[in-house]
Amino acid sequence: MKTRISRRRLLRTTALAAAGVLGATLARTVKAAVQKLAVSSAGPKGYEPTKHKWLMVIDVNRCIGCGLCVEACKKENHVPQGPNYFRTWIERYIIKKPKPGSTRGEVLVDSPNGGMNGFPPATVPKEEILHSLYVPKLCNLCSHSPCVQSCPVGATFDAPDGAVLIDPKYCIGCGFCIQTCPYGCRFLNPITRTAEKCSLCYHRITRGLKPACVEVCPGQARIFGDLKNPVPNDPIQKFFATNRVQSLKPYLGTGPRMRYAGLDEEVR
Amino acid sequence: MTMEITNTIVQVLPRFEGYVYPNEATVQPLWGVLIVVYPYVTGLVAGAFIMASLVRVFNVKALEPVYRLSLLTAFAFLLCAPLPLLFHLGHPERCFEIMITPHLSSPMAVFGFVYAWYLMAVLLLELWFDYRCDFVEWARTQTGFRGLIYRLFTVGVTDVSEPALRLDAKLSQVISIVGIPSAFLLHGYVGFIFGSVKANPWWGNVLMPIIFILSAIVSGIALCAFNYLVLGWVRRTELNMRCLDVMGMFLFYALVVDAAIEALDWGHRVYEAGESFQILQYLATEKLFYTLRVGQALLGTAVPLILLGLLQLFRTRFAEIVRKRIYFASAVLILVGVLAMRWNVVIGGQLFSKSLRGFMSHKMEFAGTEGWLMAGALMVLPFVLLAVMINLFLSTKLRTCKRETTGPLPA
Amino acid sequence: MPPQIVRLVLLTIGIVGSYLVARFFLTPASFGQYGWYRANALVEIATPKAVYVGAKACDECHAEEIQKVAKAEHKNVACESCHGAGQAHSDNPDRNKISVPTDSLCVRCHETDPSRPEWLKQINSKDHYTDQKCTECHVPHQPNEVP
Repeated sequence: MKTRISRRRLLRTTALAAAGVLGATLARTVKAAVQKLAVSSAGPKGYEPTKHKWLMVIDVNRCIGCGLCVEACKKENHVPQGPNYFRTWIERYIIKKPKPGSTRGEVLVDSPNGGMNGFPPATVPKEEILHSLYVPKLCNLCSHSPCVQSCPVGATFDAPDGAVLIDPKYCIGCGFCIQTCPYGCRFLNPITRTAEKCSLCYHRITRGLKPACVEVCPGQARIFGDLKNPVPNDPIQKFFATNRVQSLKPYLGTGPRMRYAGLDEEVR
Repeated sequence: MTMEITNTIVQVLPRFEGYVYPNEATVQPLWGVLIVVYPYVTGLVAGAFIMASLVRVFNVKALEPVYRLSLLTAFAFLLCAPLPLLFHLGHPERCFEIMITPHLSSPMAVFGFVYAWYLMAVLLLELWFDYRCDFVEWARTQTGFRGLIYRLFTVGVTDVSEPALRLDAKLSQVISIVGIPSAFLLHGYVGFIFGSVKANPWWGNVLMPIIFILSAIVSGIALCAFNYLVLGWVRRTELNMRCLDVMGMFLFYALVVDAAIEALDWGHRVYEAGESFQILQYLATEKLFYTLRVGQALLGTAVPLILLGLLQLFRTRFAEIVRKRIYFASAVLILVGVLAMRWNVVIGGQLFSKSLRGFMSHKMEFAGTEGWLMAGALMVLPFVLLAVMINLFLSTKLRTCKRETTGPLPA
Repeated sequence: MPPQIVRLVLLTIGIVGSYLVARFFLTPASFGQYGWYRANALVEIATPKAVYVGAKACDECHAEEIQKVAKAEHKNVACESCHGAGQAHSDNPDRNKISVPTDSLCVRCHETDPSRPEWLKQINSKDHYTDQKCTECHVPHQPNEVP
C-alpha cells in the first residue's frame, strides 16, 4: 500500500510536529513554574522537611483507654465515621489468671469502634483478671516500610522528616499498601477511594503544633518529638532513658521506628 | 462503594469472630472477586501459550492441530485481562501512572511493561509470523470488513516468497523461546505480588509464584482441550484423537507436578507449624472447607488426576467417545478447581486478621462492581472475543498456506 | 533487509518513542525531587487548617485560668481534651462557644476499670455519690478543691 508522499508534505508535517512538541514543552515548563508559585504559597512557610525527624512513642503504662485520641484524630483529619476507618485506635488486652497447671491464662482482645467512645466495662470479672492494658495503635513509622515498597506508582512515600505519607491526588486505590502493612494501620477511604493512614497530623506538625492525638491525651501516653531538634527535657529522650522498649512484629524486618514501653507479649 | 450507600439506609455491620484490627473489619474484602478473576485469566493466557510453545519449541507434532487455537485463546484472554484490574481500582482514570512513574520496588509496577511486552513482542508477533502468509492471501481475496481486518494485519508487508516464509518460521521459533520466560513473568509476577507480602502468612511464602505458574499451566492446557472439544462439537467435525490424547497426557503430568508442589506447600506448613499455623489451620479446614477441600483439592485435583491417570494407564481400554467425555469432564473440573485455588488464595488471605486472633466474614454482592454478575461477565467476555477470532482466523471456508490436518481446525 | 524486519523495527521505534514522549509530558511537575513521589504532595498534605488549636491559642485569652490548671492535678490535661476542638471558638469566640463538658466526660477517664493503670484516680460511679453531680464536690480545673 505505498503511495508517493511529496517531500514538501513530509517536511511540512515534520516541522508542524516539531513545533507542537516544542510548544507543549514550553507550556509544560510555564505550568510547572506557575504551579510552584501557587502551591508553595499555600503551604507552611519556612518548613524544611530535611531538617526534622519526627517520632511518636507510646507509654502503655499511661494509657487509660478514654479514646479521646481516636475521637480527636477522626475530627482533625475528617476521617469517615464508620467502624472500620481508623488512623489510630486503642486495643484492650485482658489477660486472665491461668488455670492450675497452665502457664498463662486466656487472653481477650477487643476494640469496640476503635475505642473511640471509651470502652464498655469488661465482661470478665475483676477477680479473674491477671493483667489488663490499653494499647494505642497507629502507623509504626517503619524505616523499611513494606507499604512504601509495594506502592506501584509512588503515591505513598517516606517523607524526609520521618512521616510516612500518602499523596491523595496520585493514589490509584489499588489497595496493595493496605495488604502489605503488617500492623493494619491503613484503610481505603470510601469517599476519596484512596488509601489513608496516620500522617502524624502533618498539617499540624509542620506548623509547630503536636498531632491531635498527642494534644488531647490526658495521660501523656503518646509522646511526640523531633529527633533532630530535641527540646530541653525532651520527652522522647526521657522515654528511652527510663524505659525498656519494644516494637511490634520486629521479626518481619520492617524496622518500625515507633516504640512501646510496657507491652505484654500478647500484643501483636 | 455501594456498601456505604446501603449503610446509610440499613446498618450492615461487618461481621467478625475473635479480634480483628478495626481497619480489617470491612464489609467487603479489599481485594474481591475481581482480583480472583485477574490471576485466573492471566494464568489461562500463560498456560495456553505454554501449550502452543510445546508445538514450536519442543516439537510435539501431535499438538499441531491446536496450535493456532491455543494462540488465539491466549490472545482473547489477554485482551480481557486488564479489565478486572481497571474496574477494581479506586481511581481507574489514573491507571496510566503505573506506566509513567512505575515504582520498580513494587511487583505491581511491572504490570504495565510485562503486559505490553507480552501482548506486543510475544503474542502478537508470534501470531503475525504464523498467520502472515494467510493474511496476505486473505487480504487479496476477501472484501468488506473482513478484508479490511486482514489488510490491517499484514501491516503493509506482502512478501510471501520462500525465503520470507522461512524467516517467518525461524523468527516464530525465536519468539516462542522468548515467550516461555515471558509467560512465566506475566503470571509469575502475580504470584510474586502475593508471595512478597510478608505481613500475610497465607500469602507470603517462597512457593507462591511457583504454585501460581504451575496451576496456570494446568489451567491453560485444560482450557485449550476444552476449547478444542467444544469447537469440534459446535462445528460437528471429527476431532484429531491423537492430538487430544497428547493434550490429555500433558495435562496429566502438569497436574501431577502442580499437585506435588501444592502438597509440598501444605506439608511444609503443617510440619513447620509456625506462629500463624493455628489460625491458618482453622482457615483451611473450616472457613475454606468447600472451596479448598471440596473444590480445589477433591474436584479440581484428585478426581481429574484419577480420571486422566486411568486414561494414561489404560488408554486402549477406553473407546474414543468415552475418552472425549473424560477429557471434557477433567478439563471442566480442572478449570473450576484452579478458579477455586485463586479464590482460596485471594479471598482466603483476607478472611483472617493479621493480629492472628480473629476471622472476618464477607458476603459477596450480586450486581456490584465486585459481584457475581461482573465476575461472570468478565469470564464470559474472552470466550465471546475468541468466537469472533475463530470466525476471522480459523474459518473452515478460507484456505491456509499450510497443509491441512484432520480435525475441525484448519492447521 | 527483509521487509518484515524493517516494518517491525519501525513499529518498535514508534511505540517506544511515543511511550518516552508520553512519559516526559505526563510525569507530574515535582516528581523525584526528594524521592519516588511528588514533592508537591508534602505541601498539599500540610495545607489543611487545624481543627484542634493547641494550648497556646487558648493561652491568648484564658491565660489566668490556664495558670490555675497548671498548679493542680489536671496540669497535664490539655484544654481541648475536655473542651473539644477549639478552632471554631478560636476563630470567632463570640459566635462559636467552646463546649462545656458534662459528668459523662469525667467518668470517661475516671471510671474504675481493671485495665486502667494504678496512678489514675478512679471511682466506681455506681457507689460514688450517685445522686450528686461531679461538679458539686470537685472543681474541674482544680480537682482537689471544693467549689
